[in-house]
Amino acid sequence: MTVGRRNWRRQTRSRRLRLVASLAALVTIAGSIAACSSSAGGGKNSGAAGFTLSMHIADPLKNDPATAGIVKAFEAKYPDVKINVVGQPVDQHEQQMTIAAQSNTLPDVFWVYNSLAQTMAKSGKLLDLTSILQQNGLISKFPQSMLSGYHGSGIQYGVPYQALVTGFYYNKKILAQYNLQLPTTFDDLVNVAKTLHSHGITTISQGAKDSSFSVWAFLTMLDRFGWEQKQGGLLDGSVSYDNADFKNLYDHIQELAKAGAFPNNMSTQTYQQAVDAFSAGKAAFLDSGAWAAGVLQTSSVGSDVGFWPGPTFADGVGSQQLVMNAPSAPFVVSAAVGKNAKKLAAVTEFIQFYYSDAGQQILVDNAQTPVTTYKPTGAAAQKSVYASIISALQAPGWTSPTAQPDLVVSAAASNAMYESIYGVMEGVISPSKALSMVAPTIKSGS
Amino acid sequence: MTWLSRRWQVVLMLAPALLVYSVYLIYPVIYSVFYSFSDYNGVAKPKYVGGANYRTMWHDTVFWSSLRNTMVILGIAVLVIVPLAFMIAVLLSSDIKGAGVLRALIFAPAIVAPILIGLIWVFILDPHVGLINGFLASLGFTGPQWIGGTSLTPLSVAMVYIWQTVGFVLTIFYAGLRMLPRDVMEASELDGATKWQQLRYVTVPMMQETFGICTVLVITGVFKIFELVYVLTGGGPIHLSDVLVSYMYYVTFQLQNYGYGMSLAVVICGLGAVVSLGYLVLRQRGQRT
Repeated sequence: MTVGRRNWRRQTRSRRLRLVASLAALVTIAGSIAACSSSAGGGKNSGAAGFTLSMHIADPLKNDPATAGIVKAFEAKYPDVKINVVGQPVDQHEQQMTIAAQSNTLPDVFWVYNSLAQTMAKSGKLLDLTSILQQNGLISKFPQSMLSGYHGSGIQYGVPYQALVTGFYYNKKILAQYNLQLPTTFDDLVNVAKTLHSHGITTISQGAKDSSFSVWAFLTMLDRFGWEQKQGGLLDGSVSYDNADFKNLYDHIQELAKAGAFPNNMSTQTYQQAVDAFSAGKAAFLDSGAWAAGVLQTSSVGSDVGFWPGPTFADGVGSQQLVMNAPSAPFVVSAAVGKNAKKLAAVTEFIQFYYSDAGQQILVDNAQTPVTTYKPTGAAAQKSVYASIISALQAPGWTSPTAQPDLVVSAAASNAMYESIYGVMEGVISPSKALSMVAPTIKSGS
Repeated sequence: MTWLSRRWQVVLMLAPALLVYSVYLIYPVIYSVFYSFSDYNGVAKPKYVGGANYRTMWHDTVFWSSLRNTMVILGIAVLVIVPLAFMIAVLLSSDIKGAGVLRALIFAPAIVAPILIGLIWVFILDPHVGLINGFLASLGFTGPQWIGGTSLTPLSVAMVYIWQTVGFVLTIFYAGLRMLPRDVMEASELDGATKWQQLRYVTVPMMQETFGICTVLVITGVFKIFELVYVLTGGGPIHLSDVLVSYMYYVTFQLQNYGYGMSLAVVICGLGAVVSLGYLVLRQRGQRT
């Protein structure tokens, strides 16, 4: 074999090696892209009798005992259906649901804020639940107000996750220690705040950091200044948020702030820290809701805690005897579930179970109020904190608004409402400025 | 040895890196610019609105307060971090006892996640439960609202950012000092230069490139501050302590206003580039004169 021929063969082998290496590189890239594509579509179920439930709470099976209890009981009753429960903190969850909607990888059943649910419904991303609710007459178990807020774009796109019962928890022991009565009117509350402030006690535990939405009791006060009567006009633009009645409310909030009712680190503490402060007996009132009843019951102040719907106002508008008991954010179902018969059947069974008497009793057992007309029974209903909530809900002459004000407007408007209230509480803005901040965000169709 | 120098071979070898770069950097930038001209809520189809988002930004008071806070932090960070890091690097380069331990201690914050740094400083700066105000209270004074108030938050964020970054910048300066040619320093010593004269007329001029790199890193770093504000105050009260990135996050993910959020992202990116390039141009002009 000549030297020239050997060189030629070596060059040929070298070229082949390079070609093979290049092909290998291309195959690797193609493989990576294919792997990415397949993982992106991984959320789609192959048709097994199971589905994913995505929640707004990290580790929901641990941190949301009511939902965990319902899932466990459901799986015991339907052993062939497996529910994959996932969850993360609310901000991340909302973000992930938005991205999932863009890429058509929404989980089968998921919790979502109503404003985002409305957007998804408009874009055809959600399943119409009407036929599921009509089966076995389930729809008749709901008070009309619990479903009407989740009807839009021609479909019933959601069902209430839990009832939104909000107001103030109060510590009887602290009030008694300073010879104070549970307030009834706003003036009573201001006097209580002045007395407690003079003794260095926080009156109302609030936390705005990462939880500006934690102004539930003050949203009910909007209803005591005519929100519900004005709602139509506010949404169609004929009534401004910057009106004389709401100005009166914001003036009252400022009055409360000046009386020293709120903690001075309100802007740097979270809602959870506000709950911790109240649970540790460091505050007389806590702005919260029924979801906290279980935690408060087992805290060191549990036996001293009662529930109060909030103050009445002499200059309020309409009925002052209002206690918030409205649907919270909804559970919705991805439209893709409707195209998979097995999954649709499993989701239907789950919704039927969740709102059955058995499902609602599990809510009650975990200190939640039922969202249907079910009457609570059992030992859990007798626990003092929960019983005080039920007592407030059933108080003669007291009624509930049909929806919490922030849940009928856009995310921009609801955030502006929260910030306007906290802004006045913190003394950062005046009532007039607060109202003018919100007014432009509430526009027609929001 | 086989040289892979033909054009197609070079292209083939660069392709994977270019592909990754395009997918993860070029495409998102183009995507952001495109959506900045749209009304997009993240779910429905985007609607082209021309420059409406940029006009909204012009009238958005929160944008301007976030920009002001960012600029306050930028000014303090550039004026403090670069000289401070350089001085500490010079000190640690000399033969002092425990220099290695000191270097490690000063560098330590740079390896801690910003979210944890925020958490640590919450317990120091919080007006109600923080260490500083607790200490002041024990002396009979009422401490100010270091965070969460209406005025001191940007200064507090700048202070925490300095604490977090100075060790990293110091390391770059330290490496630069170690690379300086020994013979030049010895020659200056033989010529009778004092330590100060050596620093002023030899070390600093020879470290110009390092100063440039460090300053650009600090500038771009300030335009990326998010976690510190997110953990320290969440932007509150009512966005008075937001910086540009935390406000962009709020608009995009909490208000679900992706169109406006992307226009904020474009402006932040542009501002970071303009300030960095502006600094480099000024520095080059200064070197020529």
